[in-house]
Amino acid sequence: MSMNGSETGGRLLGTARAGTIESMDCLVTISGSNGGRRIEISGAGAARFKEAMELKINEVLDRLSAPDVKVSVQDNGALDIVLGARVEAAVARYLGGGRS
Amino acid sequence: MRRTMLYLPGNNPNMLMRGYLFRPDGLILDLEDSVTASEKDAARILVREVLANREFGECEVTVRINGVDTELWRDDISSVVPAGAAGIRVPKVDTPRTVLDIDEELSEVESRSGIPQGSTKIFCLLESALGVWNAYDIATSSKRVAAIIPGGEDLAADLRANRSADGVELEWVRRMMIVAARAAGVDALDTVYPRITDDDGLRREAEFTKKLGFDGKSVIHPGQIQIIHEVYTPTEREVESAKRIVAAAREAASRGRGAVTVDGRMVDLPVVRRAEFTLTRAGIAFGEPEETPDGERRG
Repeated sequence: MSMNGSETGGRLLGTARAGTIESMDCLVTISGSNGGRRIEISGAGAARFKEAMELKINEVLDRLSAPDVKVSVQDNGALDIVLGARVEAAVARYLGGGRS
Repeated sequence: MRRTMLYLPGNNPNMLMRGYLFRPDGLILDLEDSVTASEKDAARILVREVLANREFGECEVTVRINGVDTELWRDDISSVVPAGAAGIRVPKVDTPRTVLDIDEELSEVESRSGIPQGSTKIFCLLESALGVWNAYDIATSSKRVAAIIPGGEDLAADLRANRSADGVELEWVRRMMIVAARAAGVDALDTVYPRITDDDGLRREAEFTKKLGFDGKSVIHPGQIQIIHEVYTPTEREVESAKRIVAAAREAASRGRGAVTVDGRMVDLPVVRRAEFTLTRAGIAFGEPEETPDGERRG
């Protein structure tokens, strides 16, 4: 299990990741949160598309009925559907099933 | 038309988003060899989302699933078929049993998802000597089978041969693939040419496989598409001849005559079919008379 960049996978100490920092991708990290849902976005789209990205992340978390989590996104130009797919994969891994 | 079918790694957003821009006839979103074991889950989600939300123009979009010898293939199918995959490329098909298992799973998923029964095609990769030997039985084991495709590296290894520049080790396999595909009424698609910087070698191989009768070739690099299209697209002379044959046949049919002469040669049904195939390959519609820009019908 690697936690350092392009190849990520699985759950580690209450944290799970999916995605990469390659072009048109994003690295999504999910960890526990005691204080409700929290979203942090950094990287290429952070300034211009923050609201749209938050909307997409919330939409995916709602669809998956995810528990309160902290979502950190390191973006490198990911389109909406890529962001959504990476959030879904990270949540599935966080919940322990690695399921789709 | 399946002159080129481009493999795209299933966990690579950049390639998945941009692959169709290179204008292959088809795309193969790959969940198998190009995806590491730890990323299979993420790739399946990404491919599902890309299928469900992206437009691919006129590309036929298929997915190479993981083999039936893994625990992944059923989940692969249940994710990508409802999302819109036109077909499933199945690795390591050795016997008709594999096709029947896939067919059954596809029927269940189509039924659950409100997709017309039988609409998802199966593309069979024959990657062992046994698979090649069973080619005809595999190709006829389900109406869903759209094509059979010989393996490359895996097949060469199973034959205890090495891939060579001239491909002599796969020559008999390719000839057999054509006979089996034609007898079964499915497409014969060739394996990839792995030397991505050897354009001359690619052109030679494509010319050889076209001569044998293949319908097209799998592609692992966008740079290979143009060369294969050049080889597989009929020349202007071939197109003009085919147009004359199809027009003459249509004219003869309208007069209630079966046979006709074109360019001093008797034209019968097999010749007309070959001419129609030439026009299809050239991207020219022949089913209806052509329309002029102002809407009047011609021909």
